[in-house]
Amino acid sequence: MPPAPAVDRALLQRLAELARLHVPAERQGEVLRSMQRVVAAFDALRELHDLPLDAAAPTAGVPLRPDTAEPPLPLDEVLANARQTAAGMFVVPRVVDA
Amino acid sequence: MTDLHQLSATALARLVRSGEVRARDVVRSFLDRIDRLDPDYHAFLDHRGGRALADADAVDTARARGADLGPLAGVPIAWKDNLVLRGEVTSAGSRMLDGFRSPYTATCLQRLTAAGAILLGRTNMDEFGMGSSTENSAYGPTRNPWRPDCVPGGSSGGSAAAVAAALCPLALGSDTGGSVRQPAALCGVVGLKPSYGRVSRFGLIAYASSLDCVGALARSVEDLALWLRVAAGVDDADPTSVAAPLPGLEPDHRDDLRGVRIGVPWELNGPGLEDEVAASTQAAIDALRGLGAEIVECSLPRVAYAVPTYYLIAMAEAASNLARYDGVRYGARSSGARRCEEMTTVSRSRGFGVETQLRILLGTFGLSIGYQQEYYGKATRVRELLRADFRQVFGQCDLLLSPTSPVAAFPLGSRVDDPLAMYLCDALTVPASLAGLPALSQPCGFTTDGRPIGLQWMAPPLREDLLLQVAHVFERQTDHHQRRALS
Repeated sequence: MPPAPAVDRALLQRLAELARLHVPAERQGEVLRSMQRVVAAFDALRELHDLPLDAAAPTAGVPLRPDTAEPPLPLDEVLANARQTAAGMFVVPRVVDA
Repeated sequence: MTDLHQLSATALARLVRSGEVRARDVVRSFLDRIDRLDPDYHAFLDHRGGRALADADAVDTARARGADLGPLAGVPIAWKDNLVLRGEVTSAGSRMLDGFRSPYTATCLQRLTAAGAILLGRTNMDEFGMGSSTENSAYGPTRNPWRPDCVPGGSSGGSAAAVAAALCPLALGSDTGGSVRQPAALCGVVGLKPSYGRVSRFGLIAYASSLDCVGALARSVEDLALWLRVAAGVDDADPTSVAAPLPGLEPDHRDDLRGVRIGVPWELNGPGLEDEVAASTQAAIDALRGLGAEIVECSLPRVAYAVPTYYLIAMAEAASNLARYDGVRYGARSSGARRCEEMTTVSRSRGFGVETQLRILLGTFGLSIGYQQEYYGKATRVRELLRADFRQVFGQCDLLLSPTSPVAAFPLGSRVDDPLAMYLCDALTVPASLAGLPALSQPCGFTTDGRPIGLQWMAPPLREDLLLQVAHVFERQTDHHQRRALS
């Protein structure tokens, strides 16, 4: 069994980047303490052996309906919840540098 | 006539359908009551006011025309703030969705209105369903009508409090790991989580997709049977909805439980229970034995792993589902960012509350390279073992019984700083969620200081009929459900 992971600031920083979250420095200690307690509870599963090799996918056995085009939602209603739109499209800040 | 707010959904529908009462008068009485009482409890985020009255007028007009009214004609129903209604605000208890107006309607709400129900208003909830006390709502907590210094449970705490305070006869909730059953128990009402797939989730804002179910809360078992008849059924818009026929849910007027085998798994009926919860459950078991049921002591050997298994799966799915809140298409968006990725990060960090961010981080942990196999992967395999345990035990008995919650309603603020203590509130409800089983909570007693205690029933997949029949007999032979939080 691999060693239990170190739930430290480096791991928190990596997870926050993956999750697109910013945890301010003044909150990191509190978040880390909560994470350490919960991960310690998760570790109860690490003592289990002889588990089934595979788990059924949550969608196993779900029947697929015919792939038929249905009328789409009205474009103006879909765009109405966006903070910024133009010419029927969502507008976002720059994605790549010119 | 009894005050309208004291009547069940079944009774109100009967009166409206027969013309003895106008739907407008029913809706007016509940709106007045919400305006008068809800400032003390904050069960509702808002109500539809004049639009609900207009819908009621349409029911009254249809009746005057001689039209055949639906089975829920004129019954005002509240719904949890994570079910979308076209053109109206839905926030899932989050600042992230502040002001969001859906371009479509949830199937479960469509089916209610098609049956004549009147959509009354949105109820408060823990943000995205993540909580067991409704204290994680961005719009402030809900208070328990039995004890305003205590929580109503969660995450459907607004719906439970609304029913307990008789602000509506029936309310929709959602149940991922106990979010209908646990607040039902803490608020002294009946709550049903149907089998996974029994009720369409189209229009339910996703939290953990392999676990999420739409459920309902009411003050009687009969009302939940009425709701399920309307709500159940396959839906093309939800590929996980099942086409299985719904067994007969007509009220069963038998007075005994002879021939019914009720399993009592020791793991869910002893360790960690408050004394008064254990005593009320034991009294219920004695009463059931007195009604002729066979009580079968049994075991779910792997159920001790249910809480970490549930939270690993739920948090991983939440991290994935909540990735959609990127500040682009809907929801909160922070201004001033120069790059798109920065905009997304700042928007999410400001829009999500503390508990939601914690669960996203932990879910990301369970899914990330190096940890996925040991955590999320292992949890999905342990879920298979739990399902096998249930299959085995249902060979010995017809239903299972336990308390719904190990504790009665606790004081506001007493657990918010300890996530693990809050997660353990779900210890008795997550097993049925992981196995996709139908489960129901009903009142079975009170603590000496007047807080309700709930009894949980679990049945094999798609056997809601068994749950409702047995719970109905228990209800008819006891008086716990007749006590009211407010007159």
